[in-house]
Amino acid sequence: MNLAGIQMISEHIVITRLKKIVQEQQTMTSFKLTPITGMLMALLWVFAGPAEATYFVQCPGDNDGSGDAIIDGATDPTNPRYPDGGGVYSYPDNTRCMHVTASDGYVKLNGREDPYYFFSYHDVTGKNEADAGIEGYVAAENPAPTIIQDEGDELYVTLSNVGMIQRPDLADPHTIHYHGYAEAATIMDGVPEMTVSINEGASLTYFYRAEEPGTFFWHCHVEATEHMQMGMIGNLWVRPAQNRLPNGTVLGSHTHSNPDNLGGTTPRNQDNPIDGDKYVFNDGDGTTLYDVEYPVQVTTWDPIFHDASRDTQPLPFIDMFDTLALINGRTYPDTLIETALTAPAETLGYGTDTAIQPMDTVIRATQGEKILLRLQNVSTSDQISVRTLGLTMKVVGAGGRILRGGGKLDGENLYYETSNVVLSGGDARSAIIDTTDVHPGTYFLYTTQLRLLSNDTEDYGGAMTEIIIDAP
Amino acid sequence: MNIQQNKFLKKIAILASMLSMGIASMAQAAIVGVEDTTFNLVAKDGYITSGDGDSLYMWGYSTTETHNNGLSTNGGMQYPGPTLIVNEGDSVTINLTNEISILGKVSIVFPGQKVTATGGATGLMTNESTGAADTVSYTFTATHPGTYIYHSGTNPELHTEMGLVGALIIRPSTDPETTAYGPDSGSDFEVENLYLVSQVDADIHNQVELGYSFAPADPSHVNMSQQKPAQWFINGRSLSDDLFPDFAPWLPTQPYSALVIMQPGDRTLIRFVGASRDTHPPHLHGNNGTIIARDGRVMQTASGAGADLSVSDNTISVVSLATHDVIWTWTGKDIGWDIYGDLVPNCVDLVDNHTGAATSGTPYSPGDGFDDEGHNAWEWCEDDGKPFPVVLPELQDMTFGGFYSGSPFMNDNGSLPPGEGGLNLWNAFIYPWHSHTEFELTNNDVFPGGMFTAVVIIPPTP
Repeated sequence: MNLAGIQMISEHIVITRLKKIVQEQQTMTSFKLTPITGMLMALLWVFAGPAEATYFVQCPGDNDGSGDAIIDGATDPTNPRYPDGGGVYSYPDNTRCMHVTASDGYVKLNGREDPYYFFSYHDVTGKNEADAGIEGYVAAENPAPTIIQDEGDELYVTLSNVGMIQRPDLADPHTIHYHGYAEAATIMDGVPEMTVSINEGASLTYFYRAEEPGTFFWHCHVEATEHMQMGMIGNLWVRPAQNRLPNGTVLGSHTHSNPDNLGGTTPRNQDNPIDGDKYVFNDGDGTTLYDVEYPVQVTTWDPIFHDASRDTQPLPFIDMFDTLALINGRTYPDTLIETALTAPAETLGYGTDTAIQPMDTVIRATQGEKILLRLQNVSTSDQISVRTLGLTMKVVGAGGRILRGGGKLDGENLYYETSNVVLSGGDARSAIIDTTDVHPGTYFLYTTQLRLLSNDTEDYGGAMTEIIIDAP
Repeated sequence: MNIQQNKFLKKIAILASMLSMGIASMAQAAIVGVEDTTFNLVAKDGYITSGDGDSLYMWGYSTTETHNNGLSTNGGMQYPGPTLIVNEGDSVTINLTNEISILGKVSIVFPGQKVTATGGATGLMTNESTGAADTVSYTFTATHPGTYIYHSGTNPELHTEMGLVGALIIRPSTDPETTAYGPDSGSDFEVENLYLVSQVDADIHNQVELGYSFAPADPSHVNMSQQKPAQWFINGRSLSDDLFPDFAPWLPTQPYSALVIMQPGDRTLIRFVGASRDTHPPHLHGNNGTIIARDGRVMQTASGAGADLSVSDNTISVVSLATHDVIWTWTGKDIGWDIYGDLVPNCVDLVDNHTGAATSGTPYSPGDGFDDEGHNAWEWCEDDGKPFPVVLPELQDMTFGGFYSGSPFMNDNGSLPPGEGGLNLWNAFIYPWHSHTEFELTNNDVFPGGMFTAVVIIPPTP
């Protein structure tokens, strides 16, 4: 189906909805800027709106003309990066692609019936590039999609800015900043004051060669205070090459298990469950071995700021005071729901086929397993400590490096054990919980900033989730 | 582009002309400060310019001595106080006199030093100067090299908020210009910078200026309990003032710049000083740094081990009144494409760039892996000649930063729409170093601002 066809159908849907809204509005005596009336205005703008957008995905090997960021060909005839002689270029097998859109959206958090307005990204990898707009409108995910790389991957991430529907006055560009990327180049670092950012209706492709395994994160850096407070932050981590060593490789007193031959005959970046040892870093001795992994991205929101953004009011930077705390995009007790949460009605049909809060935040393991927690604090205003009540965390990584002297693989051992990891804004830590001698049961992970254990005015919420250890 | 950003860029436009006049002088290796063994400091009051153009009433230590860049504040109040630079083993004397008329007494404490105080009046933490005729002498032996803080020991909560704070640097007796802690301490550097973080709540400063009392029992005393800063500073200046050179003439009470200028391969020593009540986490774009020392002590298993207990990170949590020393470098290693945009490999790698020692490597096979000095110094040879991996969008589809050269490559520029860019005078790679508590990137409700500076990596000298 071409863009014009999609547009016609969408217009039909819009017009039907507009008629319904107008009927509802006729009972109101005064104009009030609510999400519904705002949406009315926005939709009128969208279809009266600017020149047709052109979204353009760059992905070596995506040769079928769809721009869906899926590598479908063995060769890329036009890409000079992979010279092969004879005019035929083949991309290396460490090439990966992704396509994300930047837009706005609504998310329902605990403590309030009205959803919160926010900005974020949406993963449209696999969708035709021509559909980026219709797929991305009001489809912001909380948190933003997760980016996972294997060490040595060359990842092409196309960012398409599809505009913010609730705020037709806001023509903000967007970027991607890969926080902690080693030896970055300005053009790929995503800081708008120092380089380029992408306007509405267009696409910018970033290139990241993953050299450092560990826990990182990514976020928009345009008007960083505003866009980060509004939610444009996602998880990101890199898996070490050590995972792909041949079966039986001796690592100190540990023997590497790789029965599925990951990295050998089995392709890398295998998302299917594989039988084999996984490490956080190339530790050389198996000390960062883990069995199950969970990102724990903690952030905070200010409800007044989000409502002001929705209502086209001046943004209260000076009065920013966050009273919502989220783990992986959810407040407690939504953190305990082990399925994806879908979009509230305010998205008016946009993005309802997607999970707006896709991440399961319950941490589960079987007794005896090692749990990797990829801890991050991405709050724009608070220091956050993460505590695991009744469980010991061993911190093995910080700042995207192994916790050894100088961040070097042969450095002095600096691992430490704690039940409370202190995270300033921007900090990322990799911590492993060994459940070998732990009684099965339900434990808790929560922030010790007790103020953040509430959902604004609703007590008993915030940044808390459960760690469930099942009997073997 | 909103109005706030326009104002920001107008300020930056002045920077362009300033920098074009003094580029060579800006690439200085050493921190600007006062080098001596005896210092005569006078506590004075005055005003600084905040990031949003306001005047803030401040207290600060002042000196009439000439700084090591040949310039002087001529005894005027400065924020932060003068950066005092002494040498390991020096017997240091700091004489303090209080000339802040509304302030009864002031003092200085020197965390990390063993201080003897004589003269003045006996105070709770140390001796205090009660007025122009009452000078206190603080003496200590600069036993340990490193980065330290000094601040008022009298009502320190109020006094540090008001600006009575500064940095003390003790240089090692061996290799004082090229290491922070001497040889084999992992603290070798080519470039050195101060990164002193602080904050201001203008309400408190207004109350002080209006004459509110300092006696806690007095109902109309200065209220510190509601402290809510709306201004954040690096080296006493907010963005974008902190990008201007040291001793910028229109910032007479804020002499220190926070802009870092270096070349690929340079190791820059960043001396972090936490001069305010809150913890601030500066985030270093571009690369991780190595935190080699805290509070003036190298993180090492034993002396001479070379900071073997250092931690690598890109976000440095600077707690109130703490200091950290970080070594940061950048080369673009393993980025996967040629940062100069060369399509034909031309790397020359015959020596180890740090030591200068010749290696047995032939051109383009590992010496230290980096292009030698005198060429595209410190280019990672494995990336040499690899094409840029993506096509950038059309010009009209992008928004440009003032510091964008128009080209993604180092030592290159490209055409930009009229009025765009223009501030990247060196065709450099420029990264922000800013607080990751993003709320602090504002000047009194206006973004951008606050605790935000930049590192400029200028192309190597051919």
